[in-house]
This record gives sequence, C-alpha cells and structure tokens, in this order.
Amino acid sequence: MKKLFFSLAIVILGTLGLNWPSFLNFFQCKPDLLLIFTVGLVFYTDFKTAFLFGILAGLVKDVFLPWHFAINTVCFGTWSYCVYRLSGQITIEEDYVRWGIILVAALLNNFIIGLQSVTTGNIMPPGIFLRNLIIVSVYTTLLSPLVFKLTKKIAALS
Amino acid sequence: MLKLPRKTVINFVLPALAVLLVFNFLSCFKNPVQKTFKPHLSLIGLVKRELLGIVFYHRNMVLADKLQTDVNLLRWRLFDFRELSQENARLTNLLNFKQKSSLRLVAAKVIGRSIDSWSSSVIIDKGRYNGIKTGMAVVSPQGLVGSIVESSENTAKVLLINDPNQGVSGIVQRTRQEGLVSGTLGTSLIMRYLLDDAAIMAGDIIVTSELSQIYPKGLLVGRVVKIGREFSGLNRYALVKPVVDLANIEEVLIIIP
Repeated sequence: MKKLFFSLAIVILGTLGLNWPSFLNFFQCKPDLLLIFTVGLVFYTDFKTAFLFGILAGLVKDVFLPWHFAINTVCFGTWSYCVYRLSGQITIEEDYVRWGIILVAALLNNFIIGLQSVTTGNIMPPGIFLRNLIIVSVYTTLLSPLVFKLTKKIAALS
Repeated sequence: MLKLPRKTVINFVLPALAVLLVFNFLSCFKNPVQKTFKPHLSLIGLVKRELLGIVFYHRNMVLADKLQTDVNLLRWRLFDFRELSQENARLTNLLNFKQKSSLRLVAAKVIGRSIDSWSSSVIIDKGRYNGIKTGMAVVSPQGLVGSIVESSENTAKVLLINDPNQGVSGIVQRTRQEGLVSGTLGTSLIMRYLLDDAAIMAGDIIVTSELSQIYPKGLLVGRVVKIGREFSGLNRYALVKPVVDLANIEEVLIIIP
C-alpha cells in the first residue's frame, strides 16, 4: 500500500514538474520536486525503499528530458546512498540540517547536469549556468518542507 | 306630549345616553393617556422599524450573497470565454497558416514542458500514430519552434530552438551570411561562426538556410539584437531574439516531409 502511494507521489510530482505554472517560475527556474522526494525518502523510510524509489524518481525525470543518458537515475540513486551514509555520521533530525542536505544535493545535482551539458560542447553563458545552479537549488530547498511533509505522511501509513 | 314606554327608555335611550356620556368623558382622558402612551408607542415603533430593518437587511444579505455567487459564476464564464476566444484566435491563426502554407502540416497541442531548467523542450499530444517521427521540424505561424527528438505512440518530445543541444543552420535574410544558430537556455539564441567581416547588423532577420537537413529553407528564426566577437577573436557571433514566444507556446505545427 505504502509503495503504491510512493509510486503515486512520484507520478504526481513528475506531472507537477512538467506542468509547473509559469507564474511560479523564479527567474525562469523551477524546483526539482523529485529530488526533494528522493532525499526525503531517506529521512522517513528505510534505505532499500528510499534507494529504489529514488532511482524510480530519477528514471521518471530522465524519461521526460531530451537527453539519452539517464543522468538523473544515476545521480538520484547516488544521493540516496550518500544521504543514507551521512545519516550514520551526523544527526539528521533537525529541520535545518535536512534543508542543508537538500541544498547540497541540489547544488551537486545541478552542477553535474550543467557540467555534462557544457562538456558536450553546448554553449551556455556563465550567467545562465549560475542561475540554474544557484537559483534552482535554493528554490528546491525552499519548497522542500512541503514535499517532506508529503513524504512523511506517506511513510507514516501502515 | 310624547310618552315613551318605560321598556323603550331602558332598552334604547339609556344605553345611548351612556355611550354619549362615555365618549364625552373619554375625550377628557384622551390627551393624558395619549401623552402617557406616546413614548412607549414611539419606542415600539422604533423597535418595529429596526426589526423590519433587520429582516430587510437579512433579506438583502441573502440577496447580496446570491448576487455575489452569480457575479463569481459570470466572472468564471467570462474568463472561460476569454480563454476560448484567445484559443480560437490562435487556432484560426494556425489554420490560416496551415491553409496558406505549401507544407504538409499537423497541428498539435503542448501538454507538458521541460521537467528541469537545464533543457528546453515541450511534450505534444501527437505521436507516431499521427505520422510524427524523430527529426521533423516544428513551427508556429510566427516562425521556427524546434524539432522532434523523440516520438512515442501518442506523444512526442520537441527540442526547442533555445535548448543548447539544438543547432539550426541559419542565414541573414538581407546579406545571405550563414551561421549556426543554437540555444543558450536564455531568452536569446546565439548565431556563431560568422566571419570577421560578416555583413550583419542589429535588426537583421535570420531565417533557416537550405543547408539544414531538417528545416525547410526560409523559416523565420528571429531578429539580431546584438553582435559580438568570440573569445578566440577569429569569428563573430550574433545574439538573436526568437520570433516565437517559446516560454508560452501552446500550439505548434509539425512539418511532415
């Protein structure tokens, strides 16, 4: 039952990402809701579930991107594993720690995707690169409490 | 002399006299009694008026609520009509373009946009079933939109011209100067590989060239807004403002070769 709801949440967040209202765009940037969900899963469920659904969320994101390499599937799985390992080293119960983790994950994720885009020969002005790196990450962090709440509620289901 | 019978006097005359006496007597009491009752009556009148006012207010309140609901409903309808009217105008525009154009075109609706900020693409509601294949050019009545990069049974993915992965062979309409137009994820496109002495200036119109294998020749791409020199110093580049509002595009036309 819980797994069904997690799958449903991925579909809903993916649909929301695809149809994100333009008036909610901040400097033409939209938040990465699926990344928040992936990291949130590590906080509220066991590693196995978080890892599997993290990969699924990455896969959903990659399906709707015009690239052939499933970079988000790889990255989301990696972030799940890294956050899980990190949770063994530091306490992740505080909200600000969780926000910090999501900010770092978003920055790294955007940096890798941006770097991949630039190294494949695409021209991207530094301003656009920084905009997508910083504003998207901060926007993602700002929206994380809402997605965390959803993840927590689903995780609490029996 | 008239002599009334005793019975008549008792039955009629005496009661009549009593009534007259009471009425005369009453007039003496009228003023003081009325004066005594006046404040109460006024108060009762006031209370009655206020009560009626409350009833009236309540009735008006209910009416106002109903009217407000009607206004909201009509506002929504007006909004719907405006949306329909705008859609109608856009579709008419598309249809006119389709009818005038010599190209074989398929109209499609945008049903989704890029899921992240690192790419610029849209998903359309037509796919292989409608003859849409990878590599087909996508246009709008204003100009070039992009190309199909993926096609499934009922949907297709369009890579917009402002995506960095997109490259269009373009020429300056005025001087026939060639260059490669690619996206930057920003509001402008970049036209690269322009010769140092290229005859190009701000305001020039860029159209697709015949060298492009995907796009038909002469499709409007955009207008030059700025010219600069590349870092290497060997070539110049031009920033091109696309003619199509790519961020808000809702309907597109796919060119079937």
